[in-house]
Amino acid sequence: MEAMLTNPLAVLILAHADDKLLLGHVQSDWTGLGPLLEEDIAASAMAQDDLSHALILYQFLGERYELDSDVIAFEREPVDYMCCDLVTKPDEFDWAEAVVKRWLIAEFTGMGIDRLSAIEDKELAARCNRIKPEQALQIKHLQAWIKRLGTAGPESQERIQAALDRLSGLAGMLFEVPGQRLPVNDDFCCGRDEMFKAWDASIQETLSQSNLKASFALPERSLIGGRRGTHASHFHDQFDELTEVRRVSPGASW
Amino acid sequence: MSGAANPVKPLEQTGHEDPDKLAEFEQHIANGGLIEPGDWMPDAYRMGMLGMAEHHANSEIIGALPEGEWITRAPSMRRKLALTAKVQDEVGHGQMLYRVSQELGKSRDDMLRDLVMGKTKYHNCFNYPAPTWGDIAMIQWLIDGAAIMNQKTLADGAYGPYVRTMNRINMEEAFHFKSGEDMVLTLMSGTKSQKNMCQDAFDRWWPVSLMFFGPADKPDAENKPAMKWRMKVEKNDSLRQRFVDRFAPAAMDLGLIINIVTKNEQGLVTSASPDEELVLNEETGNWSFTDPDWDEFWRVIRGNGPCNAHRLSLRRFSYEQGAWVRRAIGSGTTSLPPAA
Repeated sequence: MEAMLTNPLAVLILAHADDKLLLGHVQSDWTGLGPLLEEDIAASAMAQDDLSHALILYQFLGERYELDSDVIAFEREPVDYMCCDLVTKPDEFDWAEAVVKRWLIAEFTGMGIDRLSAIEDKELAARCNRIKPEQALQIKHLQAWIKRLGTAGPESQERIQAALDRLSGLAGMLFEVPGQRLPVNDDFCCGRDEMFKAWDASIQETLSQSNLKASFALPERSLIGGRRGTHASHFHDQFDELTEVRRVSPGASW
Repeated sequence: MSGAANPVKPLEQTGHEDPDKLAEFEQHIANGGLIEPGDWMPDAYRMGMLGMAEHHANSEIIGALPEGEWITRAPSMRRKLALTAKVQDEVGHGQMLYRVSQELGKSRDDMLRDLVMGKTKYHNCFNYPAPTWGDIAMIQWLIDGAAIMNQKTLADGAYGPYVRTMNRINMEEAFHFKSGEDMVLTLMSGTKSQKNMCQDAFDRWWPVSLMFFGPADKPDAENKPAMKWRMKVEKNDSLRQRFVDRFAPAAMDLGLIINIVTKNEQGLVTSASPDEELVLNEETGNWSFTDPDWDEFWRVIRGNGPCNAHRLSLRRFSYEQGAWVRRAIGSGTTSLPPAA
C-alpha cells in the first residue's frame, strides 16, 4: 500500500479513481428518486459507469502493487483518499445541484482520463480507453441537460444558475494537487494550468449556449484540501457509510 | 421484483356489454389468444388490467426504495455495482409497466399522484424494514424468487402488452435471484456475525414471503372474471405451496432455521421458535407449514405497517422535488395538495 501511495503516477490515478468511487457512491442516492423515471434510469447508469471506472483503475493499481481492488477501494485510511471534496458535497436532493456538480466533475474527468491515456504505459492506456467512450457519453448527456434546463424558462434557469453560483467557488477543488505523502509538485499533474484553461473553456462554451454564467479560479498549488487528505466532514460521513457493512466482520468475504 | 400477486380485486361484469362481442372476446381468450390495446374488451377487463398493471408499476418503484438505501453501504465493488444495476432494473420495470398502464387510459402523472396520495396501492412486502445487509440478500433471494414464480404465471395471461413485459422482466429477475442466492450463500459460509445477520434477516422475510402471494382465493375463483379472462392463471395458495416446496429445503440446506416469529410495531423480531409444522409429505412431495399471520397482513395492507408512512413520504418527496424538472421539459405534472 505504501509503495502505491508514494508513487506520483499511482497518486494521480487514485485521485481520478477516488473521484469516481465517491461520485458513483453519492449519486447512487438518486436511484429510485429521480425527477422522472427515464432520468432516474440514466442517472443510475451514470453511477454504474462511475463505479465501473473506479474499479477499472483500482484493478490496474491492484495488479501493479499486488493489492486486492476492494482493499484499495474500502480499506485505506481516510487521509489516503484523494478525491476532492466537491464530489461528496451533499446536494440535498436538489436535482439542479446534482446535475451541475456531476457535469463540472465529468468534464474534468474526461480531460484527466485523456491525459492519463497519453502516458507511455500501454496497460494504463488500454484501461483508460475503456473508460473514454462512456465518459464522453456522460458529458454529452449532462451538457444537454444544462442547455435544456438553462433555456427552458425562468424557473429552471434560476434553479440551475443558483446551483452554479453555489458550486463555482468550489469547483477549483478538482484541480488541487493530490497526495498528502508527496511534495507539492506540479510535474506529475499532467499540466494543471493548461488543463484548467481547457476545462474552463469547455464549461464556458456550454454556459454561453445555456443562458448561464459562472467564473472559476485555479487554486494555489500549495492549497491543502481533500486531495491531500484534509477532507470536509461530509467526506467522513460518506466514508463511514461506504465502509459500514465491511466493518461488521473485517477481513470477511462479502 | 414485486409481482402483482394480490391486487386483482373482484371484477364485476356490468351486463351492459354487447353479448356477441363479449362471447367473441371470451372465446378468443379460451383459445389461448392475446388481447391487444386496440382490440375490443369489456370495461371491467380494461379497468381490471389497468389496476393490475398500475399496482405492479407502483410496486416496482416503491420496491426500489428499501434496496436503494443500501447501495451506499454495499460491502464490495462487485456488490455495489450489482445492487445499483438491480435497483435500476426495478425502476426500469416500473417505467415499462406504467407504459402498459398508460395504453389502458391513465396518464403517468395521474398514476404517480394517486400513488403518493395513497389512492392506489403497491405490494405489501415493501412496507417492511430492511435494517441490515442480510435483508438485502433476503429480498433478492426470497422476494425476487417469489416474484419470479408469480410472474411466470402472469406471463401466461391474455393481455399482450402485459405478457410481453412480464417476459422481459422475468429475464432480469432471474439475475436478481442469482445475485441474492450468491449473497445468502456467501453470508452463510462466512463468519459467525455474518451467519447471525443472515438468520435474523431470514426470520424477518420468511413470513413476508409466505404472505407475498396474497390470501387464499375464493373456492370458485376459476369461474370469476379474473381467472376466466386469464388476468391471473394460478391460485394464490397453489403458488405459495410451490414457493415453500422450493425454498424450505433450500434454506435448510444452507443451514437456516425456519422459525415462527413474533414482531414488534417496527417489524423487528421479538421471539422466534422453529416451525413444528414444517414436515415433508413424502406422498405428495409438498411441505406443510404454519400459515403466516393474516391479521398482520390486513393491518399492513390497510396502511398500518412498519414502513408504510416512510415509503410513501419518500415517494411524495421525490415527486415534489422533481416537479420543476418535469415542468421544464414539458412533461405533464401538477402540484399536490399539502401532505396530511
